[in-house]
Amino acid sequence: MLELAIGIILGGCALGAGMAMIAGIGPGIGEGNAVAKACEAIGRQPECKGDVTTTMLMGCAIAETTGLYALVIAILLIFLAPNIFVNILMNAIG
Amino acid sequence: MPKIDKTVKNETIYILSFEIIFSLIMQSVFLIIGKWDITVLFGNLLSGSAAVLNFFLMGLTVQKAVRKDEKDAKNMLKVSQIYRTLLLFIIAGIGVYFSVFNTVAALVPLFFPRIAIALRPLFMKKNNNDSENIEK
Repeated sequence: MLELAIGIILGGCALGAGMAMIAGIGPGIGEGNAVAKACEAIGRQPECKGDVTTTMLMGCAIAETTGLYALVIAILLIFLAPNIFVNILMNAIG
Repeated sequence: MPKIDKTVKNETIYILSFEIIFSLIMQSVFLIIGKWDITVLFGNLLSGSAAVLNFFLMGLTVQKAVRKDEKDAKNMLKVSQIYRTLLLFIIAGIGVYFSVFNTVAALVPLFFPRIAIALRPLFMKKNNNDSENIEK
């Protein structure tokens, strides 16, 4: 029974980490769209290349933070959460 | 190796300088609360360098992508983002898994570039005011 409980904890953590990483899809799509539009803008006004690149770089970095939050949650769920939950379970059993 | 664009270089230097400033602040906070040890420094170095490297690689990709057509640029950024996330996952994983690195110090510096960008409008305003004063 204990093994089953630990298995459920580990499975839940792995599942949670996987689900958290779904948020990693968004920044990729967003950055792709931003760069595509920037290409269009630079094509129209090549003299603004520097400004457009700077603004886009900052935009991309901000968009990527969403993915980073998800990444950190996933890492915590994979590496730290299982130990904590198993300890709580062990303490509860006594 | 492709020539690095001036914009990418400048922005990376900006992010790097803020990363160093915030890292120093974080180290002092650890010192003040009495939790500082060498693992904090190692964790900070690991993930601080990863955060700057991530930004620099993104800059290089953007620099290459703006020379391509829209569809290729889109795909290039998506692929780059996957590889960079994988890189960060490995580095943050190392930081959390091995006890040589402090967990908090190995995760927090990943968000410093975001704070640096949030503070950017303040500096841009100051620069604009300076240039306006020079013009006058």
